Amino acid sequence: MRWLSPLEPNNRHQGVRTERFDGVGNWLLETTEFREWRYNEGGADKAVLFCSGNPGVGKTYLR
Amino acid sequence: MPLTARISSLVIDSLCDRAQEDNIAVAGLYCDFLSQQEQATTNIIGALLKQLVNRGGIPDHLREAFQKAKKEFGGRVPRLADLMGMLKIVIASLPRVFICLDALDECLPKYVPEILESLRDIVQESPRTRIFLTGRPHVREDVQRYFLDAVVIPISPNPDDIRNYVEMRLDRDSEPEAMSNDLRVDIVRVILEKISNV
Repeated sequence: MRWLSPLEPNNRHQGVRTERFDGVGNWLLETTEFREWRYNEGGADKAVLFCSGNPGVGKTYLR
Repeated sequence: MPLTARISSLVIDSLCDRAQEDNIAVAGLYCDFLSQQEQATTNIIGALLKQLVNRGGIPDHLREAFQKAKKEFGGRVPRLADLMGMLKIVIASLPRVFICLDALDECLPKYVPEILESLRDIVQESPRTRIFLTGRPHVREDVQRYFLDAVVIPISPNPDDIRNYVEMRLDRDSEPEAMSNDLRVDIVRVILEKISNV
């Protein structure tokens, strides 16, 4: 499997989720945009949801 | 940890939680400045492929491709076209695939158009595929160049999120005796004020 890619995204995901604290971003899952993207059977033109934002919050933002 | 990464991990988890009931497959990847060189398009596409085939054993076509590559050049790395061919076959064989790519702008700029083009190829081949992307506002143009109808949601630090976070950190403070209620209230207030001025 390593032949396909040296990247191990599952490890990174485990790292992020253990640091993530409950409740952050839950509002996103409730938006109409997210729900339509998630549940509707739309075709290729409805494929992409892009969350645009600066990554900083917490320490970088407060400095 | 970046806010967008938290959001991505939440989305990936919420999809994975219902993957079985909803009969979907999920592949997700976090891009990172620190490993830009590794995040070549081939490695990203390869990583998505790896995640999707992890579900149910290695398909024959993939095994054959690997054996062939091994014979040809003593195990040369797969080319993008090879990986894309394999990924498209795997995606077409699954009921519905969700691909999440966090912090697109943290890839080297030279890879971004190639990554988006590859994703567009996938969607054209399997139109039910859903793609979740995050990135700094400036990559929006890139995204929309390849996906004209992409839905954009702006993410910004949400005061409730920040309050929860700060309170959580205060609760875990290693010297609770140094904290008074007034100080605690002050800390939360000042931080929230600063945020609203950003």
